[in-house]
Amino acid sequence: MTETVSGPSIPGSQAGKRPETIKAIPVRHPWRWLSGAVVLAIAGDIVYTIVTAPNLNWGVVGAFLFGRLIREGIVITLELTVLAMAIGVGLGIVMAVMRLSPNPVVSWVSWLYIWFFRGTPVLVQIFFWYNLNIVLPHIGIGIPGTPFNLQAGTNQLINPFLAATLGLGLNEAAYMAEIVRAGIISVEHGQTEAAQALGMTRLQVMRRIVLPQAMRVIIPPTGNETISMLKTSSLAFVAAVPELFTRSEQISSANFAVVELAIVASIWYLVMTSILTVGQYYLERYFARGSQRELPPTPWQRFRKILFTGHVPPPIEAPIPLPRAH
Amino acid sequence: MVKAEAVHKSFGRLEVLRGIDLEVAPKEVMCMIGPSGSGKSTFLRCINHLEKIDAGRLSVDGELVGYRQRGNKLYELPDAEVCKKRSEIGMVFQRFNLFPHMTALANIMEAPLLVKKESRTTAEARARKLLDRVGLADKVDSYPNQLSGGQQQRVAIARALAMEPKLMLFDEPTSALDPELVGEVLDVMRSLARDGMTMVVVTHEMGFAREVGDSLVFMDGGVIVETGTPRDVLSSPKHERTKAFLSKVL
Repeated sequence: MTETVSGPSIPGSQAGKRPETIKAIPVRHPWRWLSGAVVLAIAGDIVYTIVTAPNLNWGVVGAFLFGRLIREGIVITLELTVLAMAIGVGLGIVMAVMRLSPNPVVSWVSWLYIWFFRGTPVLVQIFFWYNLNIVLPHIGIGIPGTPFNLQAGTNQLINPFLAATLGLGLNEAAYMAEIVRAGIISVEHGQTEAAQALGMTRLQVMRRIVLPQAMRVIIPPTGNETISMLKTSSLAFVAAVPELFTRSEQISSANFAVVELAIVASIWYLVMTSILTVGQYYLERYFARGSQRELPPTPWQRFRKILFTGHVPPPIEAPIPLPRAH
Repeated sequence: MVKAEAVHKSFGRLEVLRGIDLEVAPKEVMCMIGPSGSGKSTFLRCINHLEKIDAGRLSVDGELVGYRQRGNKLYELPDAEVCKKRSEIGMVFQRFNLFPHMTALANIMEAPLLVKKESRTTAEARARKLLDRVGLADKVDSYPNQLSGGQQQRVAIARALAMEPKLMLFDEPTSALDPELVGEVLDVMRSLARDGMTMVVVTHEMGFAREVGDSLVFMDGGVIVETGTPRDVLSSPKHERTKAFLSKVL
């Protein structure tokens, strides 16, 4: 008997047994190392130049980073962000549903709202609310022909904080309306039909079936909007709202450490947006329920995996197929 | 149970139904076959007013679908009443259309809770019983995408049954399924028929139609070409068009 089969041997191979897992020498990538080094060098040089700028006083940055005025500013920035986003999301959903309404007048009003508030700069809108009292000294609501009539001075009613909140929130609502509308449209029509066939009303279908599914499409851009809002809230500066940027401006106009205080503000904006980014991740994960067979690992789970196995799992985007239960 | 007289329906300039006359008796299982585009699904969707008919009369259980007649005038039903009528008719779709963000149990409980305002305990007890009936008692907490097509369609049937409908409409319930999963869905439908449910089934499963159906309707080009008992229509079709169709699918 002569052996007719030649070629590389398969270690550990026996009839009916799985051969050893392949352990090959990986391909080397010298150019990757080189391009990485070049990019690092350039980035490092830029950072070094700024950090060691001759007239930059890091002591001032440290002194004001946790100062009382700055801390108060952060609170107001957060309040502005939360309130403006609440107005934006709430009114945005209403506008989106109105836009898709079978009533042409309702749909058209929504279109007009979006057209106006998306078409003018948010800075101008804040400015408008802040200065409304110049042209409209009193605001009131009442029903003609009845004693019901409430009046108040515009200045008492719309203080700087409210002016900024309104400007930011109403503007945001226009953007959120488009995001929500895109989400609603993304839900397959069969879902609406199935719900209608069960006897649900239009409103029930929207609230229980369509909106929860639209959330998966709505959440990621809403997260971006929130992060963006956190930074845009610095425009409240024009309404003299004492938020983070206004406070750092006020301090620097007293001590002339303009760049140092800008760095202080930047550090805090970065910290806050970073926290929001993590929050967004978990929110997306929650609303992915039912659309993926297995939820992607949280950053913490991934970290633990790297730690204990030394293996970096790829970020999971696509649904993982499960074996069919048959 | 269902009565159609000269039902017409157009989408724009395309006339999909061109005068449908038929009657479904209580406890009858009527199967509808025909080439795609023949108007079977459209007719089914007219029965629970997912589509509005343009001419003719269509009634379920003696009441007009979508309208109320007073004297010589027809009045459109307000949304609330349309919903109420729909809630008495179960519908099963080709693509299942389960709510993907809810578990199997929640899918079934949703409409009884929302539409019938049932208590959670009642709704859950019935949902569990129905899941058991379609053979999926162990899938209570599964989300639709964790289920196979056949399992999803069985949950969809249970979801429709949870409203205790007096009539069930099936729109090609097995067409989107792998061949090996068709049987489990047909089994559930067969047992429903045995229990005396009135059913209108648009299908391509000739075996099912022959075995379970009380009557068979062959549609083409928006009209009923031939109707009779499944045995007669399938084994000795009278119409040329029916013969041509059956020779291709049997």
